[in-house]
Amino acid sequence: MSVSRDDFSIAFRSALLQRGGAQKFSVLSLIFLALIIFFLDVYGVKFTKPIRGFINDVVYRVTFLASTPTRFFPQAGKDISSYLSVREENKKLKEQLEKYKSLELNVEFLSDENKNLQKILETEYFNKNLTNIILAKVLVDKNSPFLKSIIINKGTRIGILKGMPVTKDNYLVGRVVETNYLSSRVLLLNDLNSRIPVTLDEGAQAILSGSGGKNPNLEYLPEDYEILENTNVFASGKDGIFNAGTPIGKTTENGEVELFVDPNQLSFVTVNLIKPTKEVF
Amino acid sequence: MAKGNILNKLFASGPLLLLYYLSISEIDTNLEKLFEILSLNLQIIIIYFWIIKRPNLMGTGHIFLAGLINDVVMGFPLGISSLSYLVVCFVGNYVRNKSVNTTIASDWFTFLIALLFANLLFFSLLNNFSDITISYAKISYNTFFTLFLFPVFWFLFNLYQMSFIGVQDA
Repeated sequence: MSVSRDDFSIAFRSALLQRGGAQKFSVLSLIFLALIIFFLDVYGVKFTKPIRGFINDVVYRVTFLASTPTRFFPQAGKDISSYLSVREENKKLKEQLEKYKSLELNVEFLSDENKNLQKILETEYFNKNLTNIILAKVLVDKNSPFLKSIIINKGTRIGILKGMPVTKDNYLVGRVVETNYLSSRVLLLNDLNSRIPVTLDEGAQAILSGSGGKNPNLEYLPEDYEILENTNVFASGKDGIFNAGTPIGKTTENGEVELFVDPNQLSFVTVNLIKPTKEVF
Repeated sequence: MAKGNILNKLFASGPLLLLYYLSISEIDTNLEKLFEILSLNLQIIIIYFWIIKRPNLMGTGHIFLAGLINDVVMGFPLGISSLSYLVVCFVGNYVRNKSVNTTIASDWFTFLIALLFANLLFFSLLNNFSDITISYAKISYNTFFTLFLFPVFWFLFNLYQMSFIGVQDA
């Protein structure tokens, strides 16, 4: 009995403290070190923030470089197939161009009319902030099962702050949750930690919460509210972070919201440099 | 002769390079596109297999560093992945100290213990000390598929070991 207990304690101690060969550090010392780093990072001691920011910037750049082959081969395949179908594509694009030319006149007319009407109503033109947006490249888009986020190549150097809304083609994709000097992390709308006040076509208010899956859900809808398919969902702007009226997606038959922008297909996004009225995250 | 040595060293560093590459690159083992709930933690499989079979190829310092890199890329608090990897490493060391011969069945069973400890620590630290919320279901599916697919990678790594590194055990 005592022999087996001795065996256990020897094996246990050896597993924790053993060094030699490639094992330059004992597991126990590294566990302590990892715990210290973890608590320093979580409780945000002042001096750890710039260090973490610097580490983030360096690692994100290296990740971007290391992922080049994985990005290059699928892109090369797409390029070759699009090159082969270039004639057909050209024909289609010409047709589309004609269609858009006629639509553009329509849009211009409606836009002018809208501005004039807003002047009459003495309201601010809600798109006034669109001049204050910056384009950012997606550096890292690692598809984690737990967190849905992307890393962009712009940071505090050009004025990005936590909470700023991130869009693509004027559709909302998420918000900035971590800023470094040269990069930022954007929490996508489908992440489990994402909560956004939204408004539906008919004026109903709700909270759009990420599910961790592809499509987020609507919560806190008015009582007895029945979700209809293909209802447009917009940011309500009630949190003072997102522009009211920014389109997000449309409802599906099972009550989820299908986003207008596929969160897994982002390569460039725009960050709206409005200072959020309150701290987020 | 020298060329052969370089090649041997390169093959011997294969598992470590793979561990670093999985941590730092965009490559992930989240296969939601294939099957909605399919995701696995390949890093833990790599660490456990090589710590049991050839600990001299997988230094604890490298495991710690790979964990830190993984945290930065994934957006987790620093040190949390390192801790879970080191727990796997500790269980692997213990099992290696206690056993003379290992089989796939014994490795699979002990891997379950390592995986449960590692994920329990990961989840409790994240849940109690950080603002990040993660889904219970997702972590359970991840644990299940990591365990379920362990024998597949056991065979692959064993094959790699026999073909490129040599059969001599630790």
